[in-house]
Amino acid sequence: MSSRRKFADAVRTAVTWLSTSISVFVLAAIFVFVFSRGWKTLNWEILTSDYHPKNIMANVVDGEPGQFARPDDLPADAVFSERYGFALTDAVDHQKEKQMVLTYIADDSPLTAAVNAASGPTRGDPITITEDVQIQRIDYMSIERGRKSPAGFMGSQQTAAETIERLEADGESLIGFYYQSAGGGMMGSLLATLMLIGLTLAIALPLGVSAAVYLHELAPKNRVTAILRSLIEMLSGVPSIVFGLMGMTLLFSVTALFGITTQSILLGAMTLAVILFPVIIRQTEEALLVVPDGLRMASLSLGSSRTQMIFRVILPNAVPGILTATLLSISRVIGESAALIYTMGVAINDKPEIGRGGTTLAVQIWTVMTGEQPNFELATAISIVILIIVLILNVSVKLVSARLNRKWRT
Amino acid sequence: MKTLPIRTSYLRRKKIIDLAARAIFLLAGLIAAAMIVLIFVFVAGRGIQVFLPGYANAQNLGEFLTGMRWRPDLSPPVYSVLFIVINTVITAFGAAVLAFPVSVMTALFIVKVAPKSLRLFFTTVVEILAAIPSVVYGVFAAGSITRLVSGLAAAFGYTTYGGSSMLAVILLLAIMIFPTITSLAIVSIASVDRNLELGSLALGASQMETNFKVVLSAAKSGIFAGLILGLGRAFGEATAVSMVAGNKMFGPTFNLFDTTRTLTTTMLSGLSETAGVDYDIRFSIGVVLMIVILITNLLIRYVKKHIGGVTNE
Repeated sequence: MSSRRKFADAVRTAVTWLSTSISVFVLAAIFVFVFSRGWKTLNWEILTSDYHPKNIMANVVDGEPGQFARPDDLPADAVFSERYGFALTDAVDHQKEKQMVLTYIADDSPLTAAVNAASGPTRGDPITITEDVQIQRIDYMSIERGRKSPAGFMGSQQTAAETIERLEADGESLIGFYYQSAGGGMMGSLLATLMLIGLTLAIALPLGVSAAVYLHELAPKNRVTAILRSLIEMLSGVPSIVFGLMGMTLLFSVTALFGITTQSILLGAMTLAVILFPVIIRQTEEALLVVPDGLRMASLSLGSSRTQMIFRVILPNAVPGILTATLLSISRVIGESAALIYTMGVAINDKPEIGRGGTTLAVQIWTVMTGEQPNFELATAISIVILIIVLILNVSVKLVSARLNRKWRT
Repeated sequence: MKTLPIRTSYLRRKKIIDLAARAIFLLAGLIAAAMIVLIFVFVAGRGIQVFLPGYANAQNLGEFLTGMRWRPDLSPPVYSVLFIVINTVITAFGAAVLAFPVSVMTALFIVKVAPKSLRLFFTTVVEILAAIPSVVYGVFAAGSITRLVSGLAAAFGYTTYGGSSMLAVILLLAIMIFPTITSLAIVSIASVDRNLELGSLALGASQMETNFKVVLSAAKSGIFAGLILGLGRAFGEATAVSMVAGNKMFGPTFNLFDTTRTLTTTMLSGLSETAGVDYDIRFSIGVVLMIVILITNLLIRYVKKHIGGVTNE
């Protein structure tokens, strides 16, 4: 072989190596980006808390001052109140607004016992003031003025240091706090995602599996069946945003029959079910393909009807395939966004219901990214959750389909 | 020999159950198959409605198809999609031009070149890239690709709107369609007849020459199927692109560092009410989108016929 051809070969080999390393680099870049930006934000609190902050007015039960020592492990930027035993820190939220965060509460501080001070039926109920809430106003009994006075942003203090200084100098006793719970969580979206997955599977699996059974077991092998197949196959080429449009015209009138007049989780589930038809039908058919014909014949020759054969013999043997379809469907539901923006809306709902709108985790990312100030911290934190779930599902699909392939190997 | 008594009523019931079950299964199949038709009828129906005379604030179809401005903020609002279609086609094909060669080379590498022990690793990389949801790509693009683009723009003496630009869209789409094209190319390269390869080797070609000249052209059918699928994804991708497109109000955009607007980003932008011309016009865009995808499919089928020599059928 001439050296020129050898050189050309080396170049060709190098090009394939290079191309592949690009894909590895991109994947690594995505993971590094998402984890480095989101890992700090992600914690149990953010998984289980609401997105919308709630305003809470709490009065302490006993506001008499005491003597508290500043704990050693308190960060330097936290301002500690020695008379009331709590610490405030200046912070800036993702909307670039100044906030005062309650960062520490001493064990026997007046803050440990508080009651709801907002009017309404729950007035007087005990409230636990937790760390990390955003303090708007602190009410205290003023020595100077001899009456209840505010401190903090809604007083005239602008920083944690000024607020604490005012309390220490002028506070006869502590009365109460007006604060915002931290918010920025993903519990509502997590619940909505679970509801959506359940509903979508409840609609798509029976229909999809039945359609696959018809196409593979019952349909005559003729032109009409071929057309049916290619029509179903065409569904997978439709962009998901067009499914969203379809949901808002065609399926919207179906949910209206249930008395739902807005975008809703049910509408989202029906739309996703249509998106999933081709996936479920293809996976189920593949599972039906590997069920040996001998089983069908044995079942029929023992006198079972076709229906009995399908339900007692064929479907139980196709379970791994249906399971694969289910896992793929779940992963698709979790990742879907465009169709859901149309059918479920973009307003984050902390208490999702089937008949009302809400966001899934993916749509919550969209919502926080397209607001006035994109919230990268929360978006990447949710991305980590999604990535982990999707990776687990992918591994499970591999395990299940490996089992499926092994089963009929003789 | 004694015959077993089988009651006719039992046989009849069996038959009825069979027929009923068959009807139910058939119904499921029909529903699944009817959806594509229903989608087109309903989306097109609502999309066309905007141009009909009875509609409040009816739009002019000719202006919609040929104009170069998208100004829902004016009164009366101006909606026209020609420049958006051009933008969409440029970004999608730009992404395909970047991703296609890399995809095919990666697929060839995974199937033919890579050491056996690394094959599983690289396949997994492609599979994970395929499984990452589009919003996550969007967040990644908005946080890092835009930064890369604005750095590049500064180096060339341009300014960008925080990196939101046509180049960012193209790079993002290239990354997103890469796994689609690659996984189909892997399947089709792996299924090339081994005898073709052996024949080429026997005629004195080296392994790499065989891979490039014989294997690839034998696998072209599947590779182009992947390209069609990839382009379809590039055209239809909505949320991720919206995060970096910038939604320019006129166009078309030819400068890589300028903001752009695609069909899907237009469908998602300023989505608030669910009635009125501003909402219904999105269905018209949906119809345009489907037509663009259809035309592209036909074009690529035509191109495929005229590329490569070896057939693998």
